[in-house]
Amino acid sequence: MPEYLETTVDKFTFRVAKDRLYTAKGVWVFWMQPEAPNRVRIGLTDYLQQRSGDVAFASVQPVGTKVLAGEKLADVETIKAMVELPSPVSGTVVEVNPALDTTPELINQDPYDKGWLAVIETASWDTERATLLEPEAYFKVMEAEAKEEAKKL
Amino acid sequence: MSAPGDSADIAVLGGGPGGYVAALRAAQLGARVILVEKDRVGGTCLNVGCIPTKALLTSAELLLRAKRGSEFGLAIPQVSVDLPALMACKRKTVDQLVGGVEQLLKARRVTLVRGAGRIIRPDTLSVDDGQGGVREYSAQRIILAPGSVTATPPIAGSDLPGVITSTGALDIDTVPARLVIVGGGVIGLEFACIYEALGSKVTVLEMTPAILPGATDEAIAKRLHSLLRRRGLDVQTNAVVQRIERNGEMLRVFAGAAGAETTTECDRVLIATGRWPNTQGMGFAELGLRMNGRAIAVDERLATNLPNVWAIGDAIGGWMLAHKAMVDGRVAAENATGGQRQVDYRSVPSVIFTRPEVASVGLTESQARAAGVPIKVTQFPFSANPRARIFGETDGLVRLICEAGSGRILGVHMLGLHVTDLIAEGALAVQTGATADNLAWTTHAHPTLPEAMLEAALGFSGGALHIHAQ
Repeated sequence: MPEYLETTVDKFTFRVAKDRLYTAKGVWVFWMQPEAPNRVRIGLTDYLQQRSGDVAFASVQPVGTKVLAGEKLADVETIKAMVELPSPVSGTVVEVNPALDTTPELINQDPYDKGWLAVIETASWDTERATLLEPEAYFKVMEAEAKEEAKKL
Repeated sequence: MSAPGDSADIAVLGGGPGGYVAALRAAQLGARVILVEKDRVGGTCLNVGCIPTKALLTSAELLLRAKRGSEFGLAIPQVSVDLPALMACKRKTVDQLVGGVEQLLKARRVTLVRGAGRIIRPDTLSVDDGQGGVREYSAQRIILAPGSVTATPPIAGSDLPGVITSTGALDIDTVPARLVIVGGGVIGLEFACIYEALGSKVTVLEMTPAILPGATDEAIAKRLHSLLRRRGLDVQTNAVVQRIERNGEMLRVFAGAAGAETTTECDRVLIATGRWPNTQGMGFAELGLRMNGRAIAVDERLATNLPNVWAIGDAIGGWMLAHKAMVDGRVAAENATGGQRQVDYRSVPSVIFTRPEVASVGLTESQARAAGVPIKVTQFPFSANPRARIFGETDGLVRLICEAGSGRILGVHMLGLHVTDLIAEGALAVQTGATADNLAWTTHAHPTLPEAMLEAALGFSGGALHIHAQ
């Protein structure tokens, strides 16, 4: 079990796993070393899943798809929003979470583990990893955004 | 020997939706018409296809909604299926519609000849009334509309008792506890939804990698597959059925590769592997009618290679859809009365009465991409449509395949409640070359399901109002 950074904003608690990297958009990237040093597992952060709402469908680009960082990796459809997720890295989709087909709610229930979206065989991990945020950095971005959102309510 | 009424301007072979429409249209244009039908008018569609399946489905849906009464503030203590009454209700609907077609033919003075017809010369049909009487009918022009028959795949054991086709599945005296359906196409999945509602444990075995092969946009098929599986329907793909065996009261269906075979036990097996053009035993080969595989070969005016002989509907292959056959019937009737009309299949919708329903018209995303057309796909979920929420049926979405830049609607694909009705707007859009902007500025009444079309169209330029895109 990873350790988490945690904050509570307006009754909602958001967690950030400390064992992986992030994009500011709320996508996590878990480096699968040492078993697979060229691969990363990808998913939605706790904050992004809570903000998006109950997931009805997650359609991830099929296995074999080549993506560049910033290109669409998945569409996540919730009861209140369509979330288009850009891929945080460049590479090839090698695995898509098969459980999401019948139980997409895993993204809400277990965003950092069972609700993962895809595994990507990276093409330029050494350079692209530097573009990702460390947990503490993402935590600050996320907390600021959550507070901003809370003001709108 | 020739008695009055034995000759006509036009003779139509086959009284299904294509044939009877051709007869009505030709009569409307002033021709004296003979319509030859071996069974009841209305063909597969009306007697053992579209209409009776929808009658059963309508009862099944009512049953399911009644069971959900409490969600809508209704106390319905008990609801159950009365199978004989259900069959009677279906028969009544079919009989009324068959009677209606007969009335129309009569009113247009079309001569209905009952019997099995053959074409023996390009201007003569011979009709066997099944009781030893054979009579010849001459006509200046002939329209062939013999329809299609259930395809029978070479599966060992498919002739065992308890193995049925769609015709048998429409007329039952007991609901099987366990039903295996061979084929995950339109027919197989519609029956899966009917029998599921009636209480059967249903397994669908589809041999290709995806359900509804060729019948709709891949994204829609994939989503329907997920929805069916989520509610417990066992829908397997890449499942090639090898053989069926009987074991006492039980049937066993073996699927998959040798060594990795799966076995499914059941009480009934429904073979739903599609339909073939019905082109055997009617004298076609003897006359040298040009064929295209099992189908009759026709040109864009539906003319065959024989002089003054046209062919329409399922028998010419392509889309085996009643409404496409009706269009063919109108085209052939006009051409057989001196017109020069070409068929135009751009806006033929395909509708699938699963739960939820599927409807498509125009190009799929992959067809558009394969054609090299730059496209933009925009979609809107029914979960954000108020009318769908009131119904309590929010599964599904509208997908528009638009030409990038112009926004011209190339394809419309839908999954959800009543989309088989909603697709009419999509068909109009495709046929008239409407753009996303045209749809978006057509006011759609609120609160209605078609608002999902409007919202999807707004999404083309990033402006869907009732969903938040992140």
